[in-house]
Amino acid sequence: MTMAPDMVRHLSGAAVSVELETPDMTLNIGPQHPSTHGVLRLVAKVDGERAFDVQPVIGYMHRGYEKLSEVRNYPQITALINRIDWVSGYANEIPFMVAAERLMGVEPPDRAQFIRLILTEMARISSHLIFQASYPLELGAATPLFFALRDRERVLDLIESVTGGRFHPNFNRIGGVKPAVGAGPVTRKTIQDLPAGFLSETRDAMDRVLSTADQLEDLVAGNEIVLARTKDIGVIPPEVAISYGVSGPILRASGVPFDLRKVSDYLPYHLFDFEIPTGENGDCWDRWWIRLEEIRQSASIIRQAVDSIPSGPLQAKVPRIIKVPAGEIYVRAENPKGEMGYYVVSDGGLGPYRLKIRSASFSNISILPWVLEGTLVPDIIAILGSLDFVLGDVDR
Amino acid sequence: MADAEGSEEDASLAARAAEAVGGVVLEALETAKVGVAADRWAEALRVARDDLGLSFFSWLSAVHWANDPQVGDALSAEVTERFELLCALSDVTAGELVVFSTDLEATDPSIDSLIDVFPGADWHERECREMFGITFAGHPRPENLYLPNGFVGHPLLKSFPLLSREVKPWPGEVDVEDMPEVMEGG
Repeated sequence: MTMAPDMVRHLSGAAVSVELETPDMTLNIGPQHPSTHGVLRLVAKVDGERAFDVQPVIGYMHRGYEKLSEVRNYPQITALINRIDWVSGYANEIPFMVAAERLMGVEPPDRAQFIRLILTEMARISSHLIFQASYPLELGAATPLFFALRDRERVLDLIESVTGGRFHPNFNRIGGVKPAVGAGPVTRKTIQDLPAGFLSETRDAMDRVLSTADQLEDLVAGNEIVLARTKDIGVIPPEVAISYGVSGPILRASGVPFDLRKVSDYLPYHLFDFEIPTGENGDCWDRWWIRLEEIRQSASIIRQAVDSIPSGPLQAKVPRIIKVPAGEIYVRAENPKGEMGYYVVSDGGLGPYRLKIRSASFSNISILPWVLEGTLVPDIIAILGSLDFVLGDVDR
Repeated sequence: MADAEGSEEDASLAARAAEAVGGVVLEALETAKVGVAADRWAEALRVARDDLGLSFFSWLSAVHWANDPQVGDALSAEVTERFELLCALSDVTAGELVVFSTDLEATDPSIDSLIDVFPGADWHERECREMFGITFAGHPRPENLYLPNGFVGHPLLKSFPLLSREVKPWPGEVDVEDMPEVMEGG
């Protein structure tokens, strides 16, 4: 079809043309964009619809936990490290407690270890449900949010019934777990334990979580728009992910079946049957699917754990004043977002001489300049969301 | 769930790693730790990646060993003031992890960047540079990662005071008040 000359003039006046020159423009995304899960800023050079040389700017959430830890004693530090990844606060505590316990030569009783494991998996489910709520929302689908958040609330209620906190439980003690909050009035003589009905309510909640996972799959997996926005978008090959230290569901989505729950002994995971779901392409779609599948695996682990939880004390014998013998140890755990570890350097004092916090999201988003190079601008949001990071976990 | 087997296994892992990269086994609990010379740092980690299969870049950081710290407790014994640079590498099958360590001088510490071996070292080295003042030669973007531009000082140095503690010492009297000797009647 040929256009009338005045029509062509009109279009050029509106600066619309197929031969439009698109010189480099610097696009500033954030630090408040809703898909950034906190305050991440991206500075991208944009040529037309493609982004090049994307540089993340972080540090808006930097709270200096490594420095603060040097002036605190071990029991006080758990209150800080709850707040690293606040979507799964409970899971942050575990590797630190295990590191301190191993330096002291203390082993928590079996029942305490089971309670830790159940709560860690609940934290994983709640973290992944947040992802299942927010990711479709970032792609433009609001409905899955309501399903995912409803069941996340059930899981958080259970965590709250035991620990007293939804986000920052601060529940672990060196050598075990704190007496549960919901177990009745605090008296010196009563040995407190899990609140009444916790185990049966957990079974019910896991049934609901599993049926919600099916609903989420029905809602999202067959959606053509979701498929178009996520399939073959933001592909991370396994060797690139490994060299950047990308861990957790993102690494597994790239086809690497690596899960610290299988190879490390920080909690008794070897007692339970579960699978490590892996992706094939390492694209946004695989990362979404892995986190859905991991919800199912975690629910299965929790079911097995509540069926086999041993009775016994919640706390090993520890001195009244916690002093950790001199030594160095690195303990890492499979957090919902990947490898979370603490390198503790102790000099035998009340607090660590140095505490290095290895958080998953920091390494996970350091791959952003690589994965965002040359992508379409709308895909930036799809890729950012699929990495499922929390800025508290990036900046510490 | 610590078991005796684990530590034996770790010891042999540390010995294997030390032999491969030409370093020495250092003491750490249930963690394989290997010391290498600073001038062989990048080369040793390249060998660890290629020959030992430790291709997963876990983290890089440092410890400032100092005798007279402004924050925290003093060390129980005198040490040579220095930086200990640490880098943890892992494989992605058996989960073997080795922490490599090298000593850097206390004044103007400098070392080759690992960025050609592990692209993931980029941010870790930037963090280490601003927090400890360690120069990583060959790093393409030696800019602050967390701190604002123009920030003076390196916060994780033991000589860097923690302002909040300078203003208000704690734990201490602010936490625990003296009990009144005589309770006043209401």
